[in-house]
Amino acid sequence: MNILIVEDEKALAKEIASFLRSENFLCDLAYTGNEASEKIAVNLYDFVLLDLGLPDYNGLDLITEARKAGSEASFIIITARGAVEDKVKGLDLGADDYLAKPFALIELLSRINAVARRKFNIQSQDITLGEFIMQVQSRKFLHYNTEVELTRKEFDLLQYLVLNQGKVLTRHQLYEHIWGNILDDQYDSNFIDVHIKNIRKKLVDHAPAPWLETVRGVGYRVADDR
Amino acid sequence: MIRLKTKLALFNLLSKLAFTALFLLFLPFIIERINLRQVDNNLIQKREQVIGLIANVGIEPFITSDSTDTFGSYNILKEEFISLERTGTEEYLNHIEIARRLIEDEEIDYRVLNYSFLVDGKMYLLEIGKSLASIRDARRNITKVILAFLGIIIVLTLLTDLRYTSILLRPLEKITRKLKKISDPSGFDKVPVRTTTADFLSLDKALIDLMEHIGELFQKEKEITVNISHELMTPVSVLRSKLENLLLDPRIDDDISARIEDSLKTLHRLQTLVNSLLLIARIESHQYLREDNFSVHDVLNEIIIELKPVAEDKGVEITIVSGHEHNLIGANRSLVFSMFYNILNNSLKNTPSGGSVRIKGEYRDGFYTLDIADTGRGIPESRRANLFSRFKSREGNDEEGTGIGLAIAKTIADFHDIVITCASETGKGTIFSFRFPENS
Repeated sequence: MNILIVEDEKALAKEIASFLRSENFLCDLAYTGNEASEKIAVNLYDFVLLDLGLPDYNGLDLITEARKAGSEASFIIITARGAVEDKVKGLDLGADDYLAKPFALIELLSRINAVARRKFNIQSQDITLGEFIMQVQSRKFLHYNTEVELTRKEFDLLQYLVLNQGKVLTRHQLYEHIWGNILDDQYDSNFIDVHIKNIRKKLVDHAPAPWLETVRGVGYRVADDR
Repeated sequence: MIRLKTKLALFNLLSKLAFTALFLLFLPFIIERINLRQVDNNLIQKREQVIGLIANVGIEPFITSDSTDTFGSYNILKEEFISLERTGTEEYLNHIEIARRLIEDEEIDYRVLNYSFLVDGKMYLLEIGKSLASIRDARRNITKVILAFLGIIIVLTLLTDLRYTSILLRPLEKITRKLKKISDPSGFDKVPVRTTTADFLSLDKALIDLMEHIGELFQKEKEITVNISHELMTPVSVLRSKLENLLLDPRIDDDISARIEDSLKTLHRLQTLVNSLLLIARIESHQYLREDNFSVHDVLNEIIIELKPVAEDKGVEITIVSGHEHNLIGANRSLVFSMFYNILNNSLKNTPSGGSVRIKGEYRDGFYTLDIADTGRGIPESRRANLFSRFKSREGNDEEGTGIGLAIAKTIADFHDIVITCASETGKGTIFSFRFPENS
């Protein structure tokens, strides 16, 4: 997929690009609004990551422009301004999602994937983990044919780890993903540990789940069996 | 407190009563003067009539030379009398006096006109009298009329005064209403109140100017917070992305990963701190709306669902004790959520295994009050004083906490006019009490 990163902070733009390239995206960079405007007019992008704090351009205008030009790119707004009005306005103008700086790169990826699934109507496939199966579509976690009773939070947590299989997710990244919307700044690493502990307990009642790994001093990972 | 309208009316009434009293003090004297003059004029008029009569018909019909040389007449009640007699004196009399006369063995005081005149070389004295009793009667009547009139005047002017002051003060009431209506300076109605009173106009204008000024300050603060947010979050963002990318690099071993995560943790603390300070600044510059209506218990139940796994893991019971429920009107739900969350999370953290955190809401002295009581280690006296100040409540070995949670709770409470108090006994527990405003 083709992504344009519009971000005036070059160091950040490069980090985002480097991360997304490692996830097999094609990335293009624009450091100013004008540059972005030209690139959107000439190229076809699937995604535009748009920083609203551009020095030469009101970022929201770029969305309007792109829509007028008939671009079908999905916009994900990133901003450090943290003003709720920006979020509402951006979503009103047809942006697909919104991320406040600083955000986790993993979170950005999961948002892009979520938008892509919606956009291209991709059915999520079931994922096999040892003796367990995660049915993403129906939000069920099964041991053979028996459902493992997980709370909503527990399922979300496990799903996030599973969808990022092979990557270590820090407690903070997990916390932000699950509670970011309601408890922005009350991060408590204990929350994640307790939930993982409870998930493990429930899994072990059915079968051992060695694939749910603790990476000491870092966080948690669902082992890549590929 | 007495309203201005009432005060003005009271003053009007008192001043009128004072002036009336003064007037009444002099009234008898004035009436006496007026009345006597009236009586005297009346007597003189009668004298002219009698003299005219004598000039026409002569003195004989009244006094014949052979009789007693006296003519007298009075009415039945002896209120008036006329007498005519021959007199020996040469002197001409023409005066009015108060004198006592004996009529039919009754002594009566009269206002008497004495007038002497010459007819056919003989001197006659004419006396016309009016009894003082009848004069007094007249005076009493006049006094009654005047008093009644005064009374009516006072009542009438008082009513018109009341009406007028209430019309006069209407702009002031409008200005007060405008002030009461708003929760934010920008909400002040900039359309000047219609009035012809210069004072109200200038008061209203001063208020509009003041509100605009405060509004501008708020706007500036809003911009500053947005700018700080942008300036601080951008480098944090760069650093975070760099560290996260490093963490994902397969060449890096677990040991180095742990050290990178350590740095990320520090960065998160910075991020949380900046966000918390910005949150406080935003609340204090009224960048949040207060337009949600919701049940306090719904919010508490949501928080309990979030905290339950951690509480159970720790072996702490967290419950809502039956009591009164309360609906908040005109509040910000996510801020109130955050306020309770901070306090409950704090209580949970400070309560050892086997303890409990109990929430109870009830109406106390007319206010809805919610207590969050834990059986934790308590907060020592020395820390309680600045428990809610930023940073000061921080515990030395609390790695993640920035110690700002209680300050956030306090700011949110202030924003909603909720009073938070804390009572604590070391080793026994702590109670945080929230007293909600009456009209919430």
